[in-house]
Amino acid sequence: MDFDAIVVGSGISGGWAAKELAEAGLKVLMIERGREINHQQDYATEWKMPWDMPFRGEGDSDLYDAEYAVQKRNRHFTEFTQPHFVNDAQNPYQTGEGTDFTWFRSYQLGGRSLTWGRQCYRWSDYDFMANARDGHGTDWPIRYADLAPWYDKVESFIGVSGAKEGLKQLPDGQFQPPMALNVVEQHVREAIAKRWPERCVTIGRTANLTEAKPDEARNACQNRSICARGCSFGAYFSTQSSTLPAAMKTGNLTVITDAVVEKLAYDPATRRVTAVHYLDTKTRTRKQASARLVFLNAGAFNSVHILLNSAQAGMENGLANGSGVLGTHIMDHANTLAAAAIMPGFEMHTTFGNRPTGVVLARYRNMDVMDGVGHTRGFSFQGGALQSTWTQGNRMAGIGADYKETLRRPGPWRMVLASFADCVPRASNRLTLDRTKTDPNGLPQLKIDFAFGKEELAALAQAKAEASEMLTAAGGKVLFGSDRPGAGGAAIHEMGGARMGHDPASSVLNKWSQAHEVANLFVTDGAQMSSSACQNPSLTYMALTARAAHAAVSMLREGKI
Amino acid sequence: MPISDYRLARRDFVAGLALFAAAAPSLAQAAQTSHKQATSPRHLLLREVSQLVIPRSTTPGAGEVGVGAFVLLGLAHGLAGSHGALPKTLPEGVAAHVGADGRLDYVGWLKAALDQAAGAPFMAQPPARRHAVLAALDAQAFDPKAGWHPWKAIKKLILTGYYTSEVGGSKELNYVHVPGRFDPDLPLKPSDRAYSSDWTGVDFG
Ligand SMILES: Cc1cc2nc3c(=O)[nH]c(=O)nc-3n(C[C@H](O)[C@H](O)[C@H](O)COP(=O)(O)OP(=O)(O)OC[C@H]3O[C@@H](n4cnc5c(N)ncnc54)[C@H](O)[C@@H]3O)c2cc1C
Repeated sequence: MDFDAIVVGSGISGGWAAKELAEAGLKVLMIERGREINHQQDYATEWKMPWDMPFRGEGDSDLYDAEYAVQKRNRHFTEFTQPHFVNDAQNPYQTGEGTDFTWFRSYQLGGRSLTWGRQCYRWSDYDFMANARDGHGTDWPIRYADLAPWYDKVESFIGVSGAKEGLKQLPDGQFQPPMALNVVEQHVREAIAKRWPERCVTIGRTANLTEAKPDEARNACQNRSICARGCSFGAYFSTQSSTLPAAMKTGNLTVITDAVVEKLAYDPATRRVTAVHYLDTKTRTRKQASARLVFLNAGAFNSVHILLNSAQAGMENGLANGSGVLGTHIMDHANTLAAAAIMPGFEMHTTFGNRPTGVVLARYRNMDVMDGVGHTRGFSFQGGALQSTWTQGNRMAGIGADYKETLRRPGPWRMVLASFADCVPRASNRLTLDRTKTDPNGLPQLKIDFAFGKEELAALAQAKAEASEMLTAAGGKVLFGSDRPGAGGAAIHEMGGARMGHDPASSVLNKWSQAHEVANLFVTDGAQMSSSACQNPSLTYMALTARAAHAAVSMLREGKI
Repeated sequence: MPISDYRLARRDFVAGLALFAAAAPSLAQAAQTSHKQATSPRHLLLREVSQLVIPRSTTPGAGEVGVGAFVLLGLAHGLAGSHGALPKTLPEGVAAHVGADGRLDYVGWLKAALDQAAGAPFMAQPPARRHAVLAALDAQAFDPKAGWHPWKAIKKLILTGYYTSEVGGSKELNYVHVPGRFDPDLPLKPSDRAYSSDWTGVDFG
């Protein structure tokens, strides 16, 4: 054996797998398909002003149409962050008829830990029991109590700032001091609570430090809110700022970049994965490495791709797929701008600094009373209040001195609420391999079939009506609201495809994120998710990864693997 | 391999942090390139139109800081949706400027529209007249009943060009790259300037 463990992928979950396994004393190899990005040294646009950029931060639209046709549909994709997202022309995928799915990806050391929005929310038993309660999907083999200590561990290490609110549906965690609500958000929080005591607007729980972690050479957040360019202060959680240095410190981690894992070799006699096959994209040579344990952390859809592509004689439908559900029941939150309102009455107030988080309005439907209209799960809102600046001029008539003077002043306050609805797991939403189309590496392209159903549409309709009602109650004048979800993938919470479950006949993984059929194979990214909740999922991937790593190490030590 | 240099680099960074942060803006200024004086008729037209939209006040106007050239660059690369599909019904006078590739020649259209509105070459008019002609075109385009209008894309590029220039972004408005703190509620004084570095405001304002 070359290593004790191989971790595929260096993003949010892969960094955690590498850290936990290396800290437990295992010799770990991390294999990452993208290029190396070194903390601090390689954040190419971090210190650029708009006037330093050829297209002033807007980017070259023609280039984006031609080569970034998917990524450009994400508002976090700009000329500043372009180096941190994939080139779609070089990384193609297929969609089934009628599917509009935007797959937002970062293929690089650190994966999407560099580009993510840093929102960290615990799931609750309303989420882990959702499938059991309404019969969609398959029941989770774990409950909140199984994960709570791992949430504690992850939050403490990555640093999550937030306010404790005592909400059953959004459990409190190990928080650093919260960032502040701005004056308008504070007002909206109070106005909503007064009329609807069960509805809580709270500051985003975000993996941005409000207190430095000197031991890890991480500084407190500078309130720039340009995180996705990379942060030399180490103030938000990324693989580079946090898990990778911890894993490196053990001396047990080897990292290979520019290496695309193609498939896993499996020995039916021992029922173990025996090797990881990868393509070295710099030398264009095919290589392999072996280890006692393999953790797949390539991001939900890519981990499924690897398993599907690992089919061999006797396992034509892919590795660990005796159940036939591999690739099915994929999800992404149905997401739209539920309401935007002008908030009069704050003309004499302003703020300073760019807080790198918005607010969240926690789920309040379908908890102990089933009060959703046409749906059985939850929705929640994220958003915030902001003051217009020069871009309001795009919508305004006028030229000349007065117009310039108007744009010189901070504009009116607005509040926006974006809705995120729980996505029901459905067998028809699925990943397959396209056997006719290959990517530039010669691998079959992933094919995505995905559509939202009546449950998500009903949830967004209720969310729109209620968002408007709440902002109106807070004195706002609603300008706009939508209940039509963005494309699949727009919430960038794509997950599922190798779900956890009690029964090997209907799930891929057991409660330890371990393949039912392959004892030394763990899948601890979003692929393992059996339901979607309506919270951002990455904190849960991290907690599940840490938990699985500890389980795997115990199993190794006990000779069970 | 650089990854193994990780911890050393981190220590160095923390020590040099204050220095680095302080040095960054002046480095940026040094890297600033001077604007070439452009003299083609298209440049001159856009320079003038930009200056009319954002004239000189206590700070320079848009034409003076090279926004005309930025608008041309933007139009050449499809910014502000300028290479996107055109609506089926176009405002009067626009169709004549749509090329065989289906793309609108925004500058050709603008020149023709301004010349026609002026009843004579726009650029030959006295400043007050140019202002009045452009103001009328702007009012037409922003009439709530007007719908899609090519002037909106040009105006958007003028605003972008100006408020992301060093003068527009950091002299006319405020620009703070490292705020260092967040103050959630401050009194707004009539003289306070907006922030071009308020990214959320820029996105959603
Ligand atoms: C703009 C944006 C905002 C977001 N905001 C939030 C948020 O606020 N909260 C939240 O919870 N989530 C958020 N997300 C989602 C979050 O980024 C993902 O859920 C998370 O990164 C998933 O972690 P992961 O480890 O599974 O995958 P990733 O972080 O995507 O990492 C996967 C890694 O595997 C590598 N890889 C893929 N295939 C292979 C292969 N075949 N061989 C080798 N390596 C491979 C990739 O290059 C990548 O580095 C956001 C995402 C984006 C893009």
